[in-house]
Amino acid sequence: MDERPEASLVEDARQGGQEAFAELVRRHERRVRGIALRMAGNAADADDLAQEVFLTAWKAVGSFRSGSSFYTWLYRIAVNTSLSFLKKKSRERNRAPFDENLSGAVPGRAAPPGPERRSALNELTARIDEAVAALPAHFRASFALVVDQGLSHAAAARVLGCSENTVSWRMHKARKLLQARLKPFLEEARP
Amino acid sequence: MRCQTARKRISDELDGGLPAGGGVRLEAHLRTCRACRAYREDLERIQAGTRLPEAPAGYWAAFERKLEARLAAENPGRKRVEVPFAARRRWAWAAAAVLVLAGFSLWYVLPRPVPVMTEAWIPYDDILDPIVRAVESDPELAGRIDRELQASIEEMSPVAEADAAGLSAADPFFWESLSDDELRAIVTALEKESGLGGPQ
Repeated sequence: MDERPEASLVEDARQGGQEAFAELVRRHERRVRGIALRMAGNAADADDLAQEVFLTAWKAVGSFRSGSSFYTWLYRIAVNTSLSFLKKKSRERNRAPFDENLSGAVPGRAAPPGPERRSALNELTARIDEAVAALPAHFRASFALVVDQGLSHAAAARVLGCSENTVSWRMHKARKLLQARLKPFLEEARP
Repeated sequence: MRCQTARKRISDELDGGLPAGGGVRLEAHLRTCRACRAYREDLERIQAGTRLPEAPAGYWAAFERKLEARLAAENPGRKRVEVPFAARRRWAWAAAAVLVLAGFSLWYVLPRPVPVMTEAWIPYDDILDPIVRAVESDPELAGRIDRELQASIEEMSPVAEADAAGLSAADPFFWESLSDDELRAIVTALEKESGLGGPQ
């Protein structure tokens, strides 16, 4: 069966077509959850965020301008929703009393486990996730769009509402931070 | 190419966004710079190790069921979708505007040094004092100086003394400065002198 063009699905969804919107969800759910997962840093929060993104999109689909790219609009909602969530979480964390047992769970702060627990390569993958989670939010958003979702700098810039050059600089800075943070693990995993 | 530029290009290259010709220069740099070669290897390793975990089997069916139930309770609307980080950008623009305004205000408000007219001051009094004292104490010198001064005045305006009346009559300001009575008196005197005044 031929796939319906996305523009037609979006138009139906704008008129209140729930089936058309469900099809749009199926087409984009993996990518939206991917952005949420990268921004939130854990699966449980990412699941809630992905639900929230599609709910917001459904509430706002009437304001979507046909002619513009649906995925740009949807990813924009995904980044915005994630940022609001992070802001709220940060406020709650600041209010909570300091717990010494939790301090080791801060990304990038935990002591590296021994070789008996994980191979050097798996260790590196886990460390990369932690290091990315510790990047500033605007670097992480660029990273999620460019590296995880494979968007070009220009496409990521359209989602983030900034210039292509800004995305390029953020990626460069993010990689510099990651390389500096992961230096010991990169040495270990060197063939 | 500097290492800083090369590393930025390495990042662009990984994202498939290297500008035309940038690759050639980057490779040329990498051939000679071991540190940048190691940096690229590190970034490639990070890129290769970056992968999001797949959701478990059956996850998406449950996700869609849950979402469907939530969507059924909502109607599609026209909620506005903002650009990410828009609030931060607004603050940045506002801060920049405030800084620019403050800069202009300071420029207008702060006192600036007023340019002062300076002129060369020659202490003439100090130079002339001893000359004047010497002239006053020697009458002969004073007489010679008087004669010299008189001669130089005559040299500058030789007719001044000789024909002052003629000069005055030729000067239009002389006539304009006279009152009506003075003019009438002059006219009468001239008529008498020339005999053109008519019968007395």
